[in-house]
Amino acid sequence: MKKSSIKKLLAASLAGVSLLASAAAFSGVAVVVHPSNTNAMSQSDITRIFLGKKKSYPDGAEAIPIDQAEGSATRSAFVSTILKKNGQQIKAYWAQLLFTGKGTPPKEVGSSGDVKKLVSENPALIGYIDSGEVDGSVKVVHEF
Amino acid sequence: MKRKLLIQGILAASVLAGAQIQAADIRINGFASIGGGKTFSEGTDNSSNASSEGEVEYSADLPSQGNYNSNFDFKADSIYGVQFSSDLGDGLSATGQITGAGGEDFQATIAWAYISYDINDSWSVQAGRQRIPLFFYSDFLDVGYAYHWMRPPSDINLPVDSFDGIKLNWQGSLGDWDARSSVYYGTNETDSEAIGELGFDNMIGAVFYASNDWLQLRASHLVGDIWIDNLSANSLDATQDQIAYQYVIEGGLPFADGDANPLNDATGLAGIIMDKFSRDPDFREGQGEENANGAVFSSIAAHATFGNAFVVAEYTIYEFDDPVISEGWTEVEGYYMSAGYRIGSLTPHITYSVNERELDNYFNPVTYANASLDPLTDAAIDGTEKTESITVGLRWDFHPAAAIKFEYQTSADKSDQEIIDVKGDAREVDTFSAGIDIIF
Repeated sequence: MKKSSIKKLLAASLAGVSLLASAAAFSGVAVVVHPSNTNAMSQSDITRIFLGKKKSYPDGAEAIPIDQAEGSATRSAFVSTILKKNGQQIKAYWAQLLFTGKGTPPKEVGSSGDVKKLVSENPALIGYIDSGEVDGSVKVVHEF
Repeated sequence: MKRKLLIQGILAASVLAGAQIQAADIRINGFASIGGGKTFSEGTDNSSNASSEGEVEYSADLPSQGNYNSNFDFKADSIYGVQFSSDLGDGLSATGQITGAGGEDFQATIAWAYISYDINDSWSVQAGRQRIPLFFYSDFLDVGYAYHWMRPPSDINLPVDSFDGIKLNWQGSLGDWDARSSVYYGTNETDSEAIGELGFDNMIGAVFYASNDWLQLRASHLVGDIWIDNLSANSLDATQDQIAYQYVIEGGLPFADGDANPLNDATGLAGIIMDKFSRDPDFREGQGEENANGAVFSSIAAHATFGNAFVVAEYTIYEFDDPVISEGWTEVEGYYMSAGYRIGSLTPHITYSVNERELDNYFNPVTYANASLDPLTDAAIDGTEKTESITVGLRWDFHPAAAIKFEYQTSADKSDQEIIDVKGDAREVDTFSAGIDIIF
């Protein structure tokens, strides 16, 4: 959390220097789906999917969340801002569900680049990536 | 976390193959807790029958008989578990969990083995061996990492923790609330060193759980038939007084012709009881499955998170038609309230817990042996058996997948004086324990 606010500060000061550079330098987080996915998603829809409380998109199609590897700053920002938990809380949350057969945590697939690639290839997937990495291969449904 | 690599590989392969992403996925997860502890009070003059050695024991894990005594011991709170789950596709999955508890010398047992089928987004069904969802923490009782204590308060604990049967689950949401509910039916048979063969038949239960981003609410209810068979030696010791009472005082079970009338020979009581034990298989072995008694269990719980602070409270009541005490049902109440505050990686916490049991017509061997008293009116006592405990502890999350815990618990025997006079203040005990919990 600290890291991302420092980044945001840095980004803000960079923006002051060069407006043009600001878009690329700002490192927020974008929640992304396949371009063919037409669902409008609220933050609570995203939270529910990533906490295993919902297994489908608002239109009923199957939703499969994917996580970045543990230790990634993007993941920490996503967990604290969207899931409203710290690293230990989310771990304990999944331990409770996993070892009681109520759910399994999202698969971990590495970095923003890996997530983007997988999401761009599968309409069921939903992931989060560094805003700076967003391009036409994925569709942003939420950004913070 | 080697499995990450495996999953990554499978994930990549299935994406390439255009297959469903979760197909052919085998997940292996595990948990382990290594804990040690000892009791501090050696007991008072009154705690003579606390244990055979005259020292006070603390039961850390009832299902596995993990007890602490005055010697530092590493078994009671230690456990390992490995879970395998395989997604067979189309909503079908198989899960197995093997655990080994220190109280049972780490012998591997199949805690769960079930097949789960997702009917749709809201409904699923599970068949096989599963955990009985009795308490807020009972589903993940073995996974120390998932809670702040060394162990959830043992004031609410049963010697039975799993069942073989079928469970129907529902999940849904309304506004900010998410809800889960299950109904289940099954049976259980446990071999317990403390009790003997313990059975739980015709279990029918329901559990409801609702949560939003700060509050969790839960209610559970279970009815069934319990029975005991092949009573263990420990159990015979513990229930001998009660059995003697029923035989001798209440006349609940008739003596055969030629038996001495025990009321005329109080001093010969022990001999008569032993004689009965040796001749009567019902008492030597327990009532058996065909004479099962009813049991009802209920619990309600709430867990609230306020930023870095949390509070959790639970109330449980367990009633059963005691095969030994003939009149009415025995009622055991347990409740606790616990609070903690997270400061970085440290979570200090405090818990108040109570276990309370109403005893009706409890046989008093002391009074009985006193020839000046009338055994028929003075030997039986009514009263409340009660333990109050305060637990303070610290959880330290020193690693993303591991936590170290320290805990001190002080338990006071708050039973009625009449009960203490007979049974001793056997529950007066302090316990220190520390351990490490990991998940992988």
